[in-house]
Amino acid sequence: MKQSVSAIFAVTLLLAGCGNPPQRAQVAPLSGPPAAVHVQSVALAAPPEPCTGVFAAHDLDHTTATPRPVARMFEGNGAGVAIGDLDDDGWLDVVLAHSHGAATLLWNTGDLHFRAERLPQHDTRAVSLVDVDGDGRLDIVFTRRLAAPSYWHNTGDPAARFTPELLPNVARPAYAMAWGDLNGDSALDFVAASYDAELLTAQGNSFLMGPGAGVYVYTRSGERFVPLQLAHKSQALTLALFDLNHDAQPDILVGNDFATPDQYWVRQNDGWAAMQPFSATSHSTMSFDSGDIDNTGQPVLFATDMKPYDKGVATLAEWQPMMSEMWSPVPLGDPQIVENVLQVPGATGFRNQAYARGVDATGWSWSGEFADLDNDGWLDLYVANGMIEAELFNYLPNGALVEQNQALHNDGAGHFVPMPQWGLGSARSGRGMAIADLDGDGDLDIVVNNLNAPSQLFENQLCGGASLAVDLRWPGSKNTRALGAAVQLRTGTAAYSRMVRAEAGYLSGLPARVQFGFPAGETPRQLLVRWPDGAVSQVAAPTPGTRLTITRE
Amino acid sequence: MAAHALPARSPRFPILALLHPRKRSWLVLAALLLALGIGTLGVRVWGWPLWWAAALGLGLLLVPGALKWRDDLRRHGRVIMVLSILLAAQGFHTIEHTAQLIQYHILKWPPFASSGLISAANAEWVHFVWNWLVVALIMYLVRGGMRGMWVWLLLAWAFAHACEHSYMMLRYLEMSSELQRLGFPQLSAQGLPGIFGRDGWLARSPATQGTFLCRLPGVTTAPRIDVHFWWNVGEIALLLPAAHSFLRTHITLQLTIDSRQP
Repeated sequence: MKQSVSAIFAVTLLLAGCGNPPQRAQVAPLSGPPAAVHVQSVALAAPPEPCTGVFAAHDLDHTTATPRPVARMFEGNGAGVAIGDLDDDGWLDVVLAHSHGAATLLWNTGDLHFRAERLPQHDTRAVSLVDVDGDGRLDIVFTRRLAAPSYWHNTGDPAARFTPELLPNVARPAYAMAWGDLNGDSALDFVAASYDAELLTAQGNSFLMGPGAGVYVYTRSGERFVPLQLAHKSQALTLALFDLNHDAQPDILVGNDFATPDQYWVRQNDGWAAMQPFSATSHSTMSFDSGDIDNTGQPVLFATDMKPYDKGVATLAEWQPMMSEMWSPVPLGDPQIVENVLQVPGATGFRNQAYARGVDATGWSWSGEFADLDNDGWLDLYVANGMIEAELFNYLPNGALVEQNQALHNDGAGHFVPMPQWGLGSARSGRGMAIADLDGDGDLDIVVNNLNAPSQLFENQLCGGASLAVDLRWPGSKNTRALGAAVQLRTGTAAYSRMVRAEAGYLSGLPARVQFGFPAGETPRQLLVRWPDGAVSQVAAPTPGTRLTITRE
Repeated sequence: MAAHALPARSPRFPILALLHPRKRSWLVLAALLLALGIGTLGVRVWGWPLWWAAALGLGLLLVPGALKWRDDLRRHGRVIMVLSILLAAQGFHTIEHTAQLIQYHILKWPPFASSGLISAANAEWVHFVWNWLVVALIMYLVRGGMRGMWVWLLLAWAFAHACEHSYMMLRYLEMSSELQRLGFPQLSAQGLPGIFGRDGWLARSPATQGTFLCRLPGVTTAPRIDVHFWWNVGEIALLLPAAHSFLRTHITLQLTIDSRQP
């Protein structure tokens, strides 16, 4: 009897432990030599009326269409989207790439009204909005299907805003890119990587016999970029800059398609050293994102792959012929697994916790990004998915694997729970995706660049919690948007951390503006900024419901 | 010279005593060697699928097995003969699960291909039929007098195991039908998760999302192959003490010595 009681008690403890939220860690304030700033504050707009508790879907004036009704091979890979304030009017604009047509610039005129402008730039994959030349204005950079990246310089002249220019010394084709200050000189550098399978298919022998592509670091030096080839070959669908070795410096992550393992480099002395920090990685990595999902001050890394979210037999049967066709023997010691991975840092390195936290299976997942969609202080996850390919899915109508985008709510206890009631389950075939507050009302909206269907804007009408938006300006440097800066909002009960980045998800660009959501009852006490050069600025008691522009003096 | 029988006594290891092939040992060895030889030739030279070789091996071993079980029947009666069959078959079944474990974890085969030796024919049918057969055999043994705590636990465990296989069988048949509808009747629908384990019903059901039930270590996190390896380990672990206590009181070791009269 006594033994039985003990056993029941032990099991109860075990079960209770599963549901307990992790203890909130004491997150250390950002520290470094002080840097003076001045702060401008603008009140955010009132939440939408009525608060419907869902996201309202709006079609946008752009469709990434394939040359044939049903995509063949890499036509199905689609294109990205980027968000940024291109005309400095305070409203975030949207640029949608198009893999087989003209890119579209949607000028945000406020209240979710957009004026579409077709850019004379065709066949683009990724898009980033960054201040390439350090003149204080955001420029547009595209990667292209079969050529080197293209650069649209922002002249600041409303009559002729963008002029095409060359990125000096950038000649190799690239599919994915990531921008940041990679060598600590306060100028913007970038990494670009190729998708060799597409180049080989399109160019055949001329690609095989030519100089090839691979992974390049382009370091800014005066007016030019200095290329350094890190790898001769890659099948990159995505790239990210993420601190792998906790030295507060960005390292390079390349997410490869097929069975090509992902590649990682850390900065070492004046060069780059390859490393393998993970015991398990995604197999066909399609996007990376990072975020402080536990509010511990330690960002995790998320990578998307292909795994059905629905375990019903009808769905599994749609996947099975394709999976059987694609499966090939896995070499011993290969760390790749066919599902999303969530690399969580710990005392002994990174551990994949995707399954344990409920984010391992989100369908044929192109873009996966963290964002606090309900302003409760915890980063949620949204994934755009679906696939169209005539041969791979010749047994499905229109060669399409139709899936619903997945919204997963962070329950604050370390787990993510499907949130179909948010109305984000679009069944269009999503590719690039970017998340930002497009109507300036303090909550995050979502833009998805779909394939063979109009792009969509999902307007956030959840109306939860409170928020604070932060724009950084660093006029004294060439990194005018302070890419790579860390921003920490401290309230009486929690510390929320964000990184200023230019890219996230699949082929897509984020605005440099960071957004904090937090419960309405919490009072922000301090906002800390660690600039890319290590200096730290602080703003006392920022007002909720405002957008702060913090300019370094 | 006359043989004098000593009083019968219980053997120290009654399961080993029961399973010992005795005079059939050479036949067992010969069947095993023959199976290995023909099986290797079949797979390597004639391109047989692995399960053909495994089936041939089992078929050859069945010959000495049948003779040995006939001996058991004569010596101990029908109930103990059934127990002898169950013990031997469970032993072979453990080999099957170990093979699956090796295929999945060491050779890194995908779940649908990690179906063991004989189950490659059809893992779902093999395990479904086998597990309900185990339940039926245990019930027969209970009826024949094998009782006690270990037996009841074994029966409950085997029944639960068979129920999970029924769920998987249902999913397998549904999936096969879906694949047929899509034009892939030849594709294997084997290896779908069951109620327990990684991606199983308990882990993925909308009813359990956000609760502790969907992330119970092992119960909802282990791959199907591991889950069923442990189902089987549990079955063996309960069968052995159940058989031991039953056999200890129901079989005797006949020791004979030459008793020379002066």
